[in-house]
Amino acid sequence: MTLARLEWFRLRRTWRGPVLLVIFLFFGLVGPLTARYIADIFDRFGGSEIQVIVPDPVPADGLIQYLGNVHQIGLLVVIVVAASGLAFDASPDVAAFFRTRVSSIGRLVLTRAAIYVVAASAAFIAGALAAWYETIVLIGSLPIAEMIGGMFLGVGYYAFVIAVVALSSSIARSTLAVSALAFGVTVVDQVLWGLLPPLERWSPARLAFALSDLTEGADLIDYLPTLASTAVLTALLLAVAIRLLERREV
Amino acid sequence: MITSALAVETSGLSKRYDGHIAVDQVDLRVERGSVYGLVGPNGSGKTTTLSMLAGLRRPTAGTIDLQIDRAALALLPDTPEFEPWLTGREVVDLARALVAPRLPISRVQDALDEAGLSDAADRRTGGFSRGMLQRLGVASTLVGDPELLLLDEPCSALDPVGRREVLDLVARQRGRRTAIFSSHILADVHEICDTIGVMREGRLIYQGPLADLLTGAATPAILVRLRGNDPRVVEQLERQSWIRSVTTLADGELRIEVESSEAAERGLAGALAEAGAIVISLRPEEASLERAFLELTR
Repeated sequence: MTLARLEWFRLRRTWRGPVLLVIFLFFGLVGPLTARYIADIFDRFGGSEIQVIVPDPVPADGLIQYLGNVHQIGLLVVIVVAASGLAFDASPDVAAFFRTRVSSIGRLVLTRAAIYVVAASAAFIAGALAAWYETIVLIGSLPIAEMIGGMFLGVGYYAFVIAVVALSSSIARSTLAVSALAFGVTVVDQVLWGLLPPLERWSPARLAFALSDLTEGADLIDYLPTLASTAVLTALLLAVAIRLLERREV
Repeated sequence: MITSALAVETSGLSKRYDGHIAVDQVDLRVERGSVYGLVGPNGSGKTTTLSMLAGLRRPTAGTIDLQIDRAALALLPDTPEFEPWLTGREVVDLARALVAPRLPISRVQDALDEAGLSDAADRRTGGFSRGMLQRLGVASTLVGDPELLLLDEPCSALDPVGRREVLDLVARQRGRRTAIFSSHILADVHEICDTIGVMREGRLIYQGPLADLLTGAATPAILVRLRGNDPRVVEQLERQSWIRSVTTLADGELRIEVESSEAAERGLAGALAEAGAIVISLRPEEASLERAFLELTR
């Protein structure tokens, strides 16, 4: 039994893994469907006095719907799932089990963080593939290179999110408190991006929407600074988290 | 067999929390291969001391000198908790993989057997009773073949059979490993520990061989059974300068606390005869850890 296998069991044997996958797949399937039939939905439920004019859907709309949903509920699920694994100090007795046995706290944190990055990325990519497939069926084709690039950048964003959860677990202890703190930080990231446009180029949150932006014509090269800042921030957050967790008493 | 030397030595070990002193100037000396009993009332600082030895808390002052590799130290908390979706075998194997991956996987079964958990080894721990969790804690502590065991109230949740097994198991470690065994149950400490440390309000108020505590720290007493119930006997005995107190026990027996055993041996028979007492039996009260503990912590 290794630390990685332990986390795999945590995902497979509890609600965590299935919920993560189902949520992303659900939004992957619903996103393009909503984009395709939004006009019909308004016509049917909007009433006779109000006329809503919706432009004909383009393929990127399916992805925009998917990303909009997963960036709220999906992100929250990722954070809660990761927090339940990374908040290993939530129970003093569980903390004692690991802390007196692992060769280093860094190994414990990095192994768990890596597993949750893989799990979140797999769920995100599964949802994106579902959205891609359904977009092709309902609306039209999407460029392959941009789709792959967008998924890769999305994975970068989830790595950042997991690092935020790791840092939160070094500040708060319970799963709930760690989740709330991590979610708050990701919201601040988005708010800062909105308030200070020059920050957009460096904000990790920009990667979350790269999938749809790239299919709408954005250049992959433009994301390199964002990718670099996200990688640096992710490494920094993990390093600080490990340092704080090493110093914490249980 | 491990040769005698200190495995753990602390000097002025202290822990303070916002003005509250949890552990105060503790100088532990634990011999290698011994079973050291750490006893004290609730809140006396036993768990905090063990946590500092395990590296889970940092001392505010003082030093800890561990003469073993920190990786060879294993802590068993009083209420061990595990992931409920793991089986007992997986928990023990995880402990083995983290602490001593060099050991063969057969060591997992050995540890489960030793803790008496073989039958439940493949059940998920979510359904385990508190006693079973305690046994699982023992198994996951022993699986790594540690040199130093820190056992915080290991029998607290066990039924009499489980308690017996854990005590035997800890006693068997003598000479093979060093064990620091914290407990409220004085009979357990009496049974398996060679050396004892008594803590009160964060301070180590006694440390030494158990035998020395039993013979040295407690006030000697004689139990006397008399025919009849004449209150004048008690009055006359209380007049003796070397008798500290006379208590009539529930069964009519007198418990006579004396300044020293020698004084009682010299004067008690004469004093009883002088008081006109008809003596049925007379015996020294066996020194009990409970009494010594109560006198120390009073």
